[in-house]
Amino acid sequence: MTKKLRQIAFYGKGGIGKSTTSQNTLAQLAVNFGQRIMIVGCDPKADSTRLILNTKAQQAVLDLAAKRGSVDNLELADVIAPGFGSILCVESGGPEPGVGCAGRGIITSINFLEENGAYENVDFVSYDVLGDVVCGGFAMPIRENKAQEIYIVCSGEMMAMYAANNIARGILKYAHSGGVRLGGLICNSRNVDREHELISELARRLNTKMIHFVPRNNVVQHAELRRMTVTQYNPEHPQAEEYRQLAEKIYHNDKLTIPTPISMDELEQLLIEFGVVEDEEKVLQTQTPQ
Amino acid sequence: MPINLNRSQAIIREKRLKSIVGYQGTIKDLADKSRSGCLKNAGRGFSQATNCNSGCAQGYLSSIVDAAIVNHGPVGCAGDVAGSNSVYQWGQHIRGQEHKRNVRIVNTNMSENAVVFGGEKILQDAVRTAYERFHPKAIFVTTSCASGIIGDDVERALKDTEAELGIPVVPVFCDGFRSQIWASGFDAAFHALLTRIVQTPQEKRPELVNVINFYASGRDAVAEIFGHLGLVPQFGIPFSSISQLEHWSEAAATISICGTLGGYMGNGLEQKFGVPYVTALQPHGIAGFDDWLRKLGETVGKQQEVEAYLAAQKELVAGELAEIKRKLQGKRVVVGMGPSFAHNYIRLLEDFGMDVVWGFSWHYDAKHDHGGCPSCTLDLAEKEKDIPVSVSDQQNHEIINLLRKVQPDLYVGRHPGQSVWATKLGIPTIMISDEYSAFGYQGTLDFGERIIDALTNNSLAKNLSQRIKLPYTDWWFEQEPFTFLESESDEYVTVR
Repeated sequence: MTKKLRQIAFYGKGGIGKSTTSQNTLAQLAVNFGQRIMIVGCDPKADSTRLILNTKAQQAVLDLAAKRGSVDNLELADVIAPGFGSILCVESGGPEPGVGCAGRGIITSINFLEENGAYENVDFVSYDVLGDVVCGGFAMPIRENKAQEIYIVCSGEMMAMYAANNIARGILKYAHSGGVRLGGLICNSRNVDREHELISELARRLNTKMIHFVPRNNVVQHAELRRMTVTQYNPEHPQAEEYRQLAEKIYHNDKLTIPTPISMDELEQLLIEFGVVEDEEKVLQTQTPQ
Repeated sequence: MPINLNRSQAIIREKRLKSIVGYQGTIKDLADKSRSGCLKNAGRGFSQATNCNSGCAQGYLSSIVDAAIVNHGPVGCAGDVAGSNSVYQWGQHIRGQEHKRNVRIVNTNMSENAVVFGGEKILQDAVRTAYERFHPKAIFVTTSCASGIIGDDVERALKDTEAELGIPVVPVFCDGFRSQIWASGFDAAFHALLTRIVQTPQEKRPELVNVINFYASGRDAVAEIFGHLGLVPQFGIPFSSISQLEHWSEAAATISICGTLGGYMGNGLEQKFGVPYVTALQPHGIAGFDDWLRKLGETVGKQQEVEAYLAAQKELVAGELAEIKRKLQGKRVVVGMGPSFAHNYIRLLEDFGMDVVWGFSWHYDAKHDHGGCPSCTLDLAEKEKDIPVSVSDQQNHEIINLLRKVQPDLYVGRHPGQSVWATKLGIPTIMISDEYSAFGYQGTLDFGERIIDALTNNSLAKNLSQRIKLPYTDWWFEQEPFTFLESESDEYVTVR
């Protein structure tokens, strides 16, 4: 029996560490769990596969299509490159900042991959999407028959949580028309006070779980400087074990839910409860002249 | 909302003129709601057709003799060129031009790559191509949905090519999704002319009158009439040159053959250069022509000359006009045109003694740029008879359904796509492609004779109707014509 393809996607606020977390986790999934993986970078900067390829991707789909006239003139082999752990890497690419339509580019690129059978003979396809889902193009991976499991990378910082909640809204929108579900929150720690509790509580309110708490460790940056995942750079390091655990949890994840996004007021209240933001009334009281 | 010439884009009619594309009721109700500010667009649960304002903009501008158009969009957006070209050919034909040419339009052929990576480079290449191919005095660049959605910086791209080529390269913002009303494309075209082509006057020419029209078949008749008043017409925009248009600011007045067409340019010239815009009924039919010429006379101080001319004309046509009215008395007629033409032609046909049983307009402007409900609508609303009307945005299913129910003696249309269906229903039809049909006294007589001819020689419609299968089900013909039009009150005027 053919094993069912799992399509997953990593979303989260820009700069939160989506690409780093996803590549480190997928490297573990490939090396320690024997999974055949394809990463589809959906960011015009085309840097979602740098740690797997140990270099910046050389041929992005759209850049090559522009050179050759159209995607119809491309072959899969032109744009798919194998990297660490035999992970297949594709970068969508796209226009320079401020021109054209990067969102349309992602649609074009994913259609090209699907139409040409790029997902045959892989167990996991992972989409790595630009931080802000600004238009329909960036929501492409969560539409019908695309990614079924979304992992939101966040931290205990307010804007990261705000973004996570907004992404949950996007998932909810498509959950009823397609089969997309929220797989969980990945807390990529920024060493914020009570971060573990806070993200666990946010996850509970979003009707999901914090699937893993990834502690902050400089080895991730050291590996990144060398264009590697921790698994490749220093597989014995405890941080590699963290990513292995996360990979295992994703591999066995059967709690896929329809999220219940919360209101802005509720989110702010949550931040006050956890001391991330001070209560306005209390602050004013303490400032009252004696 | 006034015309804003400080922006690069014209404000669309829906915002500026409270224009609508869906309504059914009566002319008095339409006028009342327009004046009270209560007029709302009625949406449609089903829409069969609509038209893109980009076609209006590029078609109109492409008739400037020494300009070229670059249509920045997917190649399908240039589909309107065929229609523009056919009327441009006709315009050359009526000018007796032996060597006719096609309109000068280049399309940038925006493909997926241009959409993803931006279309500014192919736009600049197309502008250079248009320049090399046609050696124009100005290039107008009409935008499309695709270029609008991806946010191409058309203005910056054109500034660069303008500096390179040394001629005006003017953006015309007519992205299809901006407006549901095709006539917004006229405004986009006039906005480009007002902001970038028409120059500050070097002199004032008290004898010169700008006449905004389509193809100016009636230019000899207008010149003769204006000659009696000591005035000289300057026709446009079609078949004008860029250098002529530059001097439109020097005229004593601007007048238009069509209220829907000319309002933006007329009011814009008044606002920017102080050239007064004559706001009157259209010069179709006796009452319309009298009002048109009198208002012009008042504007340029030629009242006495106008009255003398009109008095002489009345005497000349009295006998033949009476005979036409006798023959047309009580004939039932349906009208389908753009709003200003529709409401002016309803007046003219009613003045012939005919019974206008329904008036379709494709859209409707609740007010004009000079303020107030359109005078042609008010004029009809003030009469005793309340005429049923609808705003039907070229919805053939509404038109054919209604025509089958009311079975008029005649259908008068202004667009071939609708008019042909009335003929197929066995209804004698007149299609007015020439904006100078029924112009002035002689034109009114000629038009009356044309109606008599159409009513008498009706075998085309009769024979055709017996050989045509209509593309609608019996179910549809059992429905009210405006079933798909969402109504505020749900009280339709029942069509019998």
